[in-house]
Amino acid sequence: MSRLNIVFLIAFAGLLIWITLFQPEAVATIQRGAMVAFRPFIRASSEVEGALGALGSEALSPAQMRRKLAATESARDRLQLEVIQLDELVKENNQLRRALSYKEKSPFELIAARVITRKPSNWYSTLVINKGRLDGVAVDSPVIVPVGDDAGLVGKITEVLGDHAAVVLLLTDEMCQVSAKLVKSQEQGIINGQRGALQRLPNLRLRYLSKEANAPAGTKVMSSGTGELFPANLYLGELISIDSGIIDSEAKVRPGVDFDALVDVFIILPDLAADEELETAEPEAEAIEAPAETKL
Amino acid sequence: MKFFGVLISLIALSFILQEFVPVFYWAYGSRLLLVHAVFFAIAVAVPFPAMLGLALLTGFIWDARYHLPIYPPEAMQGIFTQAELPFGFTILIFGLMGLMIQGVRPLFRLGRWELPVFMIGLCTTLSLLIEYLVISFHRGGLEIPAELCWKLLMTAMFSSLISPFLLLLLNRLADRFRYRIRMKGLKRRYTYDGDAI
Repeated sequence: MSRLNIVFLIAFAGLLIWITLFQPEAVATIQRGAMVAFRPFIRASSEVEGALGALGSEALSPAQMRRKLAATESARDRLQLEVIQLDELVKENNQLRRALSYKEKSPFELIAARVITRKPSNWYSTLVINKGRLDGVAVDSPVIVPVGDDAGLVGKITEVLGDHAAVVLLLTDEMCQVSAKLVKSQEQGIINGQRGALQRLPNLRLRYLSKEANAPAGTKVMSSGTGELFPANLYLGELISIDSGIIDSEAKVRPGVDFDALVDVFIILPDLAADEELETAEPEAEAIEAPAETKL
Repeated sequence: MKFFGVLISLIALSFILQEFVPVFYWAYGSRLLLVHAVFFAIAVAVPFPAMLGLALLTGFIWDARYHLPIYPPEAMQGIFTQAELPFGFTILIFGLMGLMIQGVRPLFRLGRWELPVFMIGLCTTLSLLIEYLVISFHRGGLEIPAELCWKLLMTAMFSSLISPFLLLLLNRLADRFRYRIRMKGLKRRYTYDGDAI
């Protein structure tokens, strides 16, 4: 190897080490810049994907389309009414909870988001959505989607890429771990996906169940809320089978959410008002308790 | 110099086109890694220092766009502070693979494309395999399911299929910008090549 090549190799190694030592904040800044640069292309690719998906769908006659439009409009009107009613209920619920000074977290404050890129990474099961920092999205915010009468857990925000973009780590990824419970049972464990999520719809693994764990196939698996990151009673999936081990048991769970069909999702925003109330309430409580201690 | 400017533009274009490449779920979630294929094709056509420079540039942009800060459990205990795949890891991968692929450069300069085409596919697969092994190292327990092998094989196949077109494009661009890639016989073994005709 010539001297010049060695010089270039050393320079390359030096620059590489310097880059790998970047602080997370610097990396985040670089990635935000990249996101700004790539945004037009990401949006365009999302539109192309949507257009191609529409091409593949079954062609309808004008009469069928009119009927479908009428049905959709009717459903939309009904849903709008339901949303208004639900908003009122949520507000009332919030007020009641605050009034009762509940220490637990307030009900969900949701924002809707649209999936703009699917699986951008080779090894992580992720999505990119069109909501970001300016929308109040924060790292670790749970992402849900309606599944029947339940809220199905999609995953959590793992990175806020910019003002209007964030990465969702899906439940099917090994690194998205959620405390879970079997419905109508005392059994609790940790649920997570599979490494690389190489299959189209990979099953989930519910680990650390007790050795005696037993439940019929089809039992609902919900979040237990133990870890505080994810609220309780989010629908995770259905039990397929339980394998008993020497120390504990592990269950296979079919995901409740169709991750390939995700278009719109909801993000549970952190309840800042409640957090602030808690923060202000705690010093006050300490201030009240302090004289009592001095009296003792 | 013009040719290297064109190569940088080609890499930028590959990043844009990569956004439009879908994931093939029928192929175990594999896809055409266009940026990798373009870089490896360029790596076989340019001298060593240029390859290193382009590895730095391509890897940096790739990580800026696709790096995910997924931290291993050890990070919570303060043992590691880096993500599973640290920012800049792709630069290392591109550098290493570029180094390997430079080994078949003399063949490419003689007009033999069989091995370079194979190497582009192999290097793409090796890049993915190294990433997977690093992730497995962090998480513990090496799992090599059949789906993983299929995914790597399919990715290699996609890269190998597109690489002849990329090599042809590079040859055409080199002709257009008066840059010499091909030479009949390696007479000047210890001097730099790629100088303007």
